[in-house]
Amino acid sequence: MQLKPKPAAGNLRAGLMAATCALLAPSVKAQGVSGADEFDNASVDTGLLYYQEDKGRVRSIDAIVKLSHDFGDERTLTATGSVDSLTGGSPNGAVAQLSPQTFTTPSGSSLVATPRPRGEDDDEHGKLYTIAPGDQPLDPSFRDLRVAGDLTWSQPLGIGNKLSANGHLSVEHDFQSASTSLMFSRDFNSKNTTLGVGVSGELDVIKPIGGVPVAGSDYTLFQKSDGTENKHVLGAQLGVTQVLARNWIAQLNFSVDSSSGYLNDPYKLVSNVDVNGVTQQYLFESRPGSRQRRSVWLGNKLALGNSVLDLSLRYGTDDWGIDSQTVEAHYRMRVGGSMYLEPHLRWYKQGAADFYRMYLTGADAATSDKSADPRLGAFTAKTIGVKLGVPLASGGEVGVRLEAYQQDPKTHTSALAGLAGLDLNPRLRAVMLQLDWKFGF
Amino acid sequence: MLAVARDALRVERRGELVAVQWQAMASPCELLVATRDLDLARRLGEVAAGEAWRIEHKYSRYRDDSVIGALNHSNGVPVAVDPETMLLLQFAARCHELSDGAFDITSGVLRRAWRFDGGARMPDAVQIEALRTRIGFDRLRFEESALIVPPGMELDFGGIGKEYAVDCALALVLREFDGAMLVNFGGDIAANHQPDSGPWKVGVERPDAHGAARLLLDFGRGGLATSGDTHRFFEHGGKRYGHILDVRSGYPVEGAPRSVTVAAACCLEAGMMATLAMLQGAGAEEFLAAQGVPNWCLR
Repeated sequence: MQLKPKPAAGNLRAGLMAATCALLAPSVKAQGVSGADEFDNASVDTGLLYYQEDKGRVRSIDAIVKLSHDFGDERTLTATGSVDSLTGGSPNGAVAQLSPQTFTTPSGSSLVATPRPRGEDDDEHGKLYTIAPGDQPLDPSFRDLRVAGDLTWSQPLGIGNKLSANGHLSVEHDFQSASTSLMFSRDFNSKNTTLGVGVSGELDVIKPIGGVPVAGSDYTLFQKSDGTENKHVLGAQLGVTQVLARNWIAQLNFSVDSSSGYLNDPYKLVSNVDVNGVTQQYLFESRPGSRQRRSVWLGNKLALGNSVLDLSLRYGTDDWGIDSQTVEAHYRMRVGGSMYLEPHLRWYKQGAADFYRMYLTGADAATSDKSADPRLGAFTAKTIGVKLGVPLASGGEVGVRLEAYQQDPKTHTSALAGLAGLDLNPRLRAVMLQLDWKFGF
Repeated sequence: MLAVARDALRVERRGELVAVQWQAMASPCELLVATRDLDLARRLGEVAAGEAWRIEHKYSRYRDDSVIGALNHSNGVPVAVDPETMLLLQFAARCHELSDGAFDITSGVLRRAWRFDGGARMPDAVQIEALRTRIGFDRLRFEESALIVPPGMELDFGGIGKEYAVDCALALVLREFDGAMLVNFGGDIAANHQPDSGPWKVGVERPDAHGAARLLLDFGRGGLATSGDTHRFFEHGGKRYGHILDVRSGYPVEGAPRSVTVAAACCLEAGMMATLAMLQGAGAEEFLAAQGVPNWCLR
């Protein structure tokens, strides 16, 4: 006899607020009583993220604190600070060989071991490292501390409009980044439709350890110059959010951005091999001086009974030739009272940049753009994870998330005799553990 | 505005505040004013109490001379409706729509079958089916400034009247004074801002298995309302039925929390959100979480 309680769409609150305003507008609204309540007008989110790649590659520990304050009347300020510690080995781009290979860490200027005066810090002059036969060359010196801060202000701009401004700063010892964005959105159709436009700008300053290598030059010559390089990014975004049904809201976003300036990774090399696959030369990588990216993203939130499905699709393309597709799903379900369990699946596939090579051979060593950075190669990646969230009686929430990531490069072998049987582009696996604690005051 | 009998108000100093108390809508009502001026507080109290009594009088379903009384006895004849009532009806219509029909101001007749007095009588299905034919907001007919209530149907603003009165009373006293004020009609609350001394300390009565559990809250401004079945329940066959009826079935909502307290921009919004949450039954907490409103549920 009892009807099943139906889940309500997320926009019910907006509808109720609109109805309340219509009723009370002649009296209450005019008196300035309306506005956000002062409950939970400030909240703190803290998170600790542990990320570990396999085979001694990157490990990071990231601590995040987010403070939000609601000033009422939909005016909110959000400040985020994070400290990120990175250690471990990162591929230096050179291809594996059947013989040992010796490199120096970025601050080095020679591949010859020289005795040092006692007490002198090795790192200032670089440290030699030797890669065993058959292994992917990893620079073991990858170590950084990143401190980042972010400030976002949102406020209504007239009726049905919202303006949001963001500033972001991030500092590492060889890299500084500052960015800003401005988003404007407008509600239509009884708040069932929202249109948003945004612009963003970013300036990065790169000061590579050991100097800026001449792009494409021979690694052993250590042609580096002191100083800094810049990178600029300008972007724009257009989005529409639509309530499609009582339990379904969808968002479609188009984004474009354009980068220019120094787009190289100053620490990445490309091996130049002979017809047998034996390395003859290492070159510093050289990427184009500009990049245009476009993407379209479709997000959906569906309330299904007591559960919520978040399903999104993304397609991206750029003038470097990297096309990518992403499918991502989160499914939140209630377990035991107010707790929830949220499985997460993500599938990602990208094509290789036009100038990506695992290694160069005599023929293409002369091309101007080249990189062996695995991040620019073709690969598929899968993420599987689950989060457990426990709302607290005080209104806060604690959560724990565990995820596994696997990246499978498309090409990882070579037909060249000297490279036969070697895994030139090994699979990457990583695990992630995140702890969250949110509370309001 | 009605003349207010001065002796119906009690005025007392409470620390840095003055409290003015009276009875309306079958509830203890109170206005707290951040002032040391007793006369000012009394004047403001008269305004707030006047508004409470005006709305009670206008929308009481127990009075034949109320707007609701006239509509409920119209027997299908169009009744001219004043602008305030029309706005309230439009609000009720929107809530009916937003709740997918679960909230319905025509559901009052169901109370004839269900008596929520703690007893153990279960109405029979035939009686409920008969009453259900007399329910349905969609069956009301709106003309330009008139309403036709089909014979046998009744309206009841019980689910919104008190919260509406709280917001209206606060709006009126704000015309006279801009210091911190809090209006509390039987636990339904609205405040303009907090006193200089800090947030309002609000005690909300929440029913629990043994009696009343008080929820103590720091309250700045906006609205706060509680929906719950303090004493309004009955038991049958060991099953406890709450006072929230789902008009779509004619039976009480099962699995609802004993009480839901919600904070929102104003009292009316908080009250309706609490009621809509109750109508979700076992899904109340999740519904509130999805709406993103501060809330306190008690099971």
